[in-house]
Amino acid sequence: MVINLAKELSILDEQQITEELRTENIEIDLLISAIKAKIGYDLSGYARASIKRRFGQLAIDENVKYIGELIPKLLHSHQCQSNFINRLTVNVSALFRHPISFLSLRETILPYLASFPRRDIWIAGCATGEEAYSMAILLEEVGLLNNTQIHATDINTDVLKQAQTGVLTKGLNKEDAARYQASGGTLSLSHYFSTAYNKQKLSQHLLDHISFSHHNVLQDKVFCSAQLVMCRNVMIYFDLNTQNSALSLFHNSLVQNGYLVIGEKESLLNSPFNNVLKTINEPAKIYQRKSIENV
Amino acid sequence: MSDFRMFIGGSAGSIAPISSILSSLPADFNMIVTVVIHASADSKTSMTETLANNCKLTVIEISDKEKPIPNTVYVAPSGYHLYVENNEVFSLSVDKKVHFSRPAIDVTFTSAAEVFGKYCIAILFSGANEDGAEGLLNVKRHGGLTIVQSPASSQVSIMPQSAIDNGAASKVLLPIEISDLLLNYNDLA
Repeated sequence: MVINLAKELSILDEQQITEELRTENIEIDLLISAIKAKIGYDLSGYARASIKRRFGQLAIDENVKYIGELIPKLLHSHQCQSNFINRLTVNVSALFRHPISFLSLRETILPYLASFPRRDIWIAGCATGEEAYSMAILLEEVGLLNNTQIHATDINTDVLKQAQTGVLTKGLNKEDAARYQASGGTLSLSHYFSTAYNKQKLSQHLLDHISFSHHNVLQDKVFCSAQLVMCRNVMIYFDLNTQNSALSLFHNSLVQNGYLVIGEKESLLNSPFNNVLKTINEPAKIYQRKSIENV
Repeated sequence: MSDFRMFIGGSAGSIAPISSILSSLPADFNMIVTVVIHASADSKTSMTETLANNCKLTVIEISDKEKPIPNTVYVAPSGYHLYVENNEVFSLSVDKKVHFSRPAIDVTFTSAAEVFGKYCIAILFSGANEDGAEGLLNVKRHGGLTIVQSPASSQVSIMPQSAIDNGAASKVLLPIEISDLLLNYNDLA
């Protein structure tokens, strides 16, 4: 009876809808193959629903009706090739996003990392740089900036160019200030930025401790050996298998007892890495690579 | 477990009717319920806690790639778009806002429509913008059941009215009628 009611209300033929969806899935698969063959990026491990929406948006921007029509553009338009991946991988960020995580880093994790003579911190998927800027500010405040190198990487060369300048894409606002304070900050956030032409730029002595590089966590090797790896709101774009490949890369890049920080709504609960990463603070999403004798 | 999946969307003025409908559902409702409500990111009380009050079903905020189980209400986290993947796990994204909103109801309803087709029940409540209307139309196009809170009973009528205007509404009902319909669905399923 329920099914009959649902049928009665349907306005398009079920077969027609199924066929539309099937065709669109073919187009998505073909476009993914074309991207891999033409420009070398493998998007097959991306979460299907969100990559589909991004393809759909690109089709609208390119003024074509079907996702499949992006294929000839990708193959034959030089301009389209050069920015295809950048247009598909734009991520947003913010200063001191997920403050309780930064608070835990300030109070618990960084004091431990102070015992190392020098530190390497890898921010994987740095987007427009806010995460790396926040980390530099935090390190400055706990007195560890001097012997620390922050390596900020992203797949998207456009956002890297932006991040490198140290200039914020959006001006400082009261939400930024509130998150900074919730992260344990006691100064004014504007203390770390200079303002010119209505734009704010991170102080040069902080920016000097951050290097920005192109890196694809799905296809490139371990970027550096690090005491701390932070990768937030990147793995949400991957399917479960691909998340595990990324976690494997992060695990391999961590020194023994090094820390991994993931996004607020990301989870290791159903992951095999639950066994080799010890939960330090679940709400803060901070985990530690177990030393070999404890595995 | 019921084959049907319920998706609920709302914005300004929607928390009270959604809360009341969820609290009317029995603990063995057996259908997975997903809720997307616009909330200001700096709101002090958590949406999940508000909805869990008086609700006999377990109410939890969604984590990325979570696999839903029955008798549970899943709430989209503030600041993330929510999708249903084809293998039926949830996924999240921080892509740009849609209708100035993240989560956007259009995003979730559209992906739910494509995955669940005629087994999708989508309900749109009070709200002050047009988010949800397009998503609801997609649910209808894919054979799902679409219900809109009657504009007259909505604290802010823009959202339900937009859905009615674009032809997305299969039924326009009062909150109490929506409760009754859902309870009967459970009896039939």
